[in-house]
Amino acid sequence: MRVEALAVARKEVRQTLRDKRTLVVLVIAPLLQLTVLGFAVNLEVEGLPTVIVDADRTAASRDFAADLTAGELFEVVERSPVAADGVAALVAGEAEVALVLPRGFARAELAGRPAPVQVLTDGSNANHAIVARNAVEAFALQRGLQRLRERGAVPTMGRPDVRPRVLYNPTLDSRVYFVPGVAATLLLVVTFIVTAMGLAREKEAGTLEQVLVTPLPPSALVVGKTLPYAVVGMLDLGLVVTAGAAIFDVPLRGSLFLLAFAGALYLLTTLGLGLLVATLAKNQQQAFMAAFFIILPMVLLSGFMSPVPNMPEWLQYATLLDPVRHFVEILRGVLLKAAGWADLAPQLVALGGMGVLVFLLSARALSRKLA
Amino acid sequence: MSALIDVDGLTRRFGDFTAVDAVSFQVEPGEIFGYLGANGAGKSTTIRMLCGLLAPTEGRATIAGHDIARDPRAVKRSIGYMSQKFSLYLDLTPAENLEFFAGAQGLSGAERRRRVRDALEHSGLDARRDTLTGALPGGLRQRLALASARLHQPRILFLDEPTAGVAPDARRAFWRDIRAVAAEGTAVFVTTHHLDEAEYCGRVGLMVDGRLEALDTPAELKRTLVPGVFFTIDGDAPRADLRRALDGAAGVRGLQPFGRRLRVRLDPDAALADADALTARLADAGVADPRVEPTTPNLEDVFLELVGREAA
Repeated sequence: MRVEALAVARKEVRQTLRDKRTLVVLVIAPLLQLTVLGFAVNLEVEGLPTVIVDADRTAASRDFAADLTAGELFEVVERSPVAADGVAALVAGEAEVALVLPRGFARAELAGRPAPVQVLTDGSNANHAIVARNAVEAFALQRGLQRLRERGAVPTMGRPDVRPRVLYNPTLDSRVYFVPGVAATLLLVVTFIVTAMGLAREKEAGTLEQVLVTPLPPSALVVGKTLPYAVVGMLDLGLVVTAGAAIFDVPLRGSLFLLAFAGALYLLTTLGLGLLVATLAKNQQQAFMAAFFIILPMVLLSGFMSPVPNMPEWLQYATLLDPVRHFVEILRGVLLKAAGWADLAPQLVALGGMGVLVFLLSARALSRKLA
Repeated sequence: MSALIDVDGLTRRFGDFTAVDAVSFQVEPGEIFGYLGANGAGKSTTIRMLCGLLAPTEGRATIAGHDIARDPRAVKRSIGYMSQKFSLYLDLTPAENLEFFAGAQGLSGAERRRRVRDALEHSGLDARRDTLTGALPGGLRQRLALASARLHQPRILFLDEPTAGVAPDARRAFWRDIRAVAAEGTAVFVTTHHLDEAEYCGRVGLMVDGRLEALDTPAELKRTLVPGVFFTIDGDAPRADLRRALDGAAGVRGLQPFGRRLRVRLDPDAALADADALTARLADAGVADPRVEPTTPNLEDVFLELVGREAA
């Protein structure tokens, strides 16, 4: 078993080193993608293109618009006294927000009556629309309080004094949250695709059949075919964590050894899945399609983009079967919170269990082919 | 000595289709056993079952005494297999390919190095040992595949269409190698659809639609299945005229086009079973200057006779 597995592993390494494209997929692509995705996946909203429709044309209305758009959030792209222009800009996609200050705004404010302000937002990007609406509401509330104070009518009733303090990511940099997710996804894609396509290619070329008429045990084939890529996967994990720290200031607060151990368990499942898919697929095309249909839900259910608690309850249970979810939690835990073995025990057990199961399944599926 | 390949009622069905239908035969040590048939006649399916790549639906077979259904690993240890399609790694060198397949056979260390070195020497690949296999010409690839199948010195070799797509001179050289292997006591099971190659085989089995329709030495197959005397007729006349002149004549057992010539099989005691009589007959029918030459039956005649009976 040892001799045979080593022979397979050696052959895989030789082929990989000879094929420059596979090398690029294995090492360069993850780094590039981490960088690109890390910059692209960013939940911070700023520079929303905004149209100011000031029909009031008073000092008060100009003031309101200027103070609201002074920060980074809104970027004024157009000014018009006609409300219809604001709507037109939203429809044309030139603006995402239109702020309408109707005639009589200043007079109402001065008279102490409610002064109407309308915010039109493009709901097709729900996140942007919500952020813009909340910002305008908060600004209006502040302005109201300010005016009360100016009139000497300082509200005296006790009100809760909220003092937020953010743990683990004090600057609320969303990249620190996303980079671990990107890293787990990249590792999944690279190791899954390389093993699945490798075995499917051997099937197509007929070389697998030539291997299957030798007395080589199926376990040796599984181990030999995955071991080299497990090494590459560990290397990728190291690269990605280092690059995350260097480029995006993602900290590494926890144990490196724990990270490596979890990475090995994770790779067990991703490599095993790749082999399983290739064993069941007839050719490279089928393997690729299957990989696509498996990887996409794995990534979406991992909580990497949308947090698991936001999903419907039944779907939350389904995410427990997703190795990516567990590995993302481990990565975030170890990198950001210095979480230890005890904290992450459930995730580690889940990953290990799935890894062993997937590996046994793929060895069994292969030995079926052997018989 | 007992048979190295012992097949009894072997059957494989795919749904309603019976690819191999109750086939039985034995192959002795040192024998070259040819398995002939058209594409889709069940040759590859038989070989895949005997190599442990495909489970039989019914029947039984032992390879070097090991049952193919019960002990496929022991079967695989005793056989070498060359598939129809060249299936070594094109992106490895010959030396690396041999090293890998030796490892897959469980060979290691000095023993593996020695076998790989010997295989490279014997197959004339020493000079090309570090060229990528994909860059080798067809004939050398074939020799590499054979060397790889023999690395663990199996007692039985399965060759599935080993000379498909190989140049004629390389084919002859390949058959010299096969005969040398058999002379050492290895049982060789070879499928082919080159009927001329089957003449090299000690015994030949003819597959038609999944059934083994005939099994004997080439000489005996010809004697029993296509008895008679054979002539080829050449001439400037169109083949259709030659055919018309002889069709239905007394003692004519078969007419086969052969290139631009015509092959005629006649009853040995027929009046026409003589070159002069045949020439006279053709001249009477108005064929100008026919050239009639006696010839011997070949396996193609046997094969066509069998397929013809099947159709009738």
